[in-house]
Amino acid sequence: MSTEPALMSLTAVAKAIAEKRLSSHEVTRSCLDRVAEWQPRLNAFMTIESEAALKAAVDADAALAKGQSRGPLHGVPLAHKDMYYDAGKVVTCGSLIRRDFVPSITSTALQRLKDVGQIRLGSLQMVEFAYGPTGHNVHYGAVRNPFATEHITGGSSSGSGSAVAARLTFAALGSDTGGSIRMPAHFCGVTGLKTTYGRISRVGAMPLSQSLDTVGPLARTAEDCALLLGLMAGADPEDPTCSTAPVPDYMASTTGSIKGMKIGVPTVFYVDDLDAEVAKVLDDSIATLRREGAEIIKVELPDQRQLTAACQLVLAAEAAAYHKRWLIERPQDYGAQVLMRLQNGLAIPGVTYLEALRWRGPALAAHVTATSCVDAVLAPVAPVPAPTIAESDVGTSPGAEAVIQRLTRFTRPINYLGLPSLAVPAGFTAKGLPVGMQLIGRSFDEATVLQIGAAFQRATDFHDKLPMPS
Amino acid sequence: MTIPSPKQIKAMADAAGVPIDNEVATRIANSIGPAFEGFAPIAGTAPFDLEPASFLLVQGKKVSP
Repeated sequence: MSTEPALMSLTAVAKAIAEKRLSSHEVTRSCLDRVAEWQPRLNAFMTIESEAALKAAVDADAALAKGQSRGPLHGVPLAHKDMYYDAGKVVTCGSLIRRDFVPSITSTALQRLKDVGQIRLGSLQMVEFAYGPTGHNVHYGAVRNPFATEHITGGSSSGSGSAVAARLTFAALGSDTGGSIRMPAHFCGVTGLKTTYGRISRVGAMPLSQSLDTVGPLARTAEDCALLLGLMAGADPEDPTCSTAPVPDYMASTTGSIKGMKIGVPTVFYVDDLDAEVAKVLDDSIATLRREGAEIIKVELPDQRQLTAACQLVLAAEAAAYHKRWLIERPQDYGAQVLMRLQNGLAIPGVTYLEALRWRGPALAAHVTATSCVDAVLAPVAPVPAPTIAESDVGTSPGAEAVIQRLTRFTRPINYLGLPSLAVPAGFTAKGLPVGMQLIGRSFDEATVLQIGAAFQRATDFHDKLPMPS
Repeated sequence: MTIPSPKQIKAMADAAGVPIDNEVATRIANSIGPAFEGFAPIAGTAPFDLEPASFLLVQGKKVSP
């Protein structure tokens, strides 16, 4: 075991606190020490609540001493993307418009973590209203990549990716509408789970696109993601879009072998225009999975360009509808790029929007048919490793939308299909930038991608690599 | 499927109650154009009685490899 508690995994630290090998106070102090060291370099936190966190840790230790445990996260300090409503706390959504917004409810996902004992460290930075894949935020500053601070974290869960990678929090909630969990996981070298649409309640999570939004964790390992998913998933009477499908034992799935499992590798689209180092990492990952006993099978997927286009139409129209009042009353309070992207939704006729929504069923059915011979599909998360902050700061330039769409071209089809996808650290470039892969599963079959991800992490150590202060 | 022109976009935005100027309308047309192009091959080809909610039916079906 590491002598620095903050460097442990979520599952390991939760067990150590439960078994009283570590106190919640020691663990929280360790995280706060790292936050103090790294925050000036990363800008990962929106708020840091040191005193309240330490007091909550003392209370958690006192309760445990009396034999009172609240659950699997008793005394574990966590911080989440600043879009999860926490009654009585300011939730900015990364925006100027909601700079002073204090919700009266707590999001279902967050409440379920609080109910089992998590302690609040503070809140994490994000892209304004979660609408952007780079991590830029003109109001609160860019979040920086712990592995190379002049590079982006990816977004929109930028603070979540950065803080988990730097071991400032053991895990963090993100959200994924077009890739916002998987992009920071890929760029920052952490594990991120985009859940099946409807697997986790969206009540109290800031909306961007009601047809595409999903809640999910970023953490250090697939096992950590499994723990959090199991705690958050399941029906919510307040969210009619949340599934009533049974919640399996996700943790149990992470111990299984992948011998004999079939993993599909697409022959087109996901192999186009790949950076050479990203392609090499994917080839090496395929070799690792083969050594672990998986059978690799080439799969021909339906035309993914239509899915990315449909996703863009749905997202743009729904985001514009949510923001209409502020687009009229407070356009000057948006960052220029976010305003520009929200305005795009004004150009989508109702008929086109509904056509794009109507195609989701047939598109998913075609995907199911094309992948019926495999347990999961392996694909890149993004075509490139993290660009620098400067080169990705495209603002409102004429080519800005094209740059954004290129970064998210491998993630958006999965949002349109509503499928689960686990982004897993899979290697590093020669310059030391992380590269991830995504394991795409069947609807509501997070267990299988977590099983493959955990097996991959038992065979590799990319998820263990620590960023060093520069 | 036709990509909306800046003039059409300006009219749509006005009708939605979010007025924009000509420059913004031109910029939007360029930004969103590729999405219309990408969707064009399937636009207008959906069966008459296809419901958006069919997605949830497909999602809920059990599949075994």
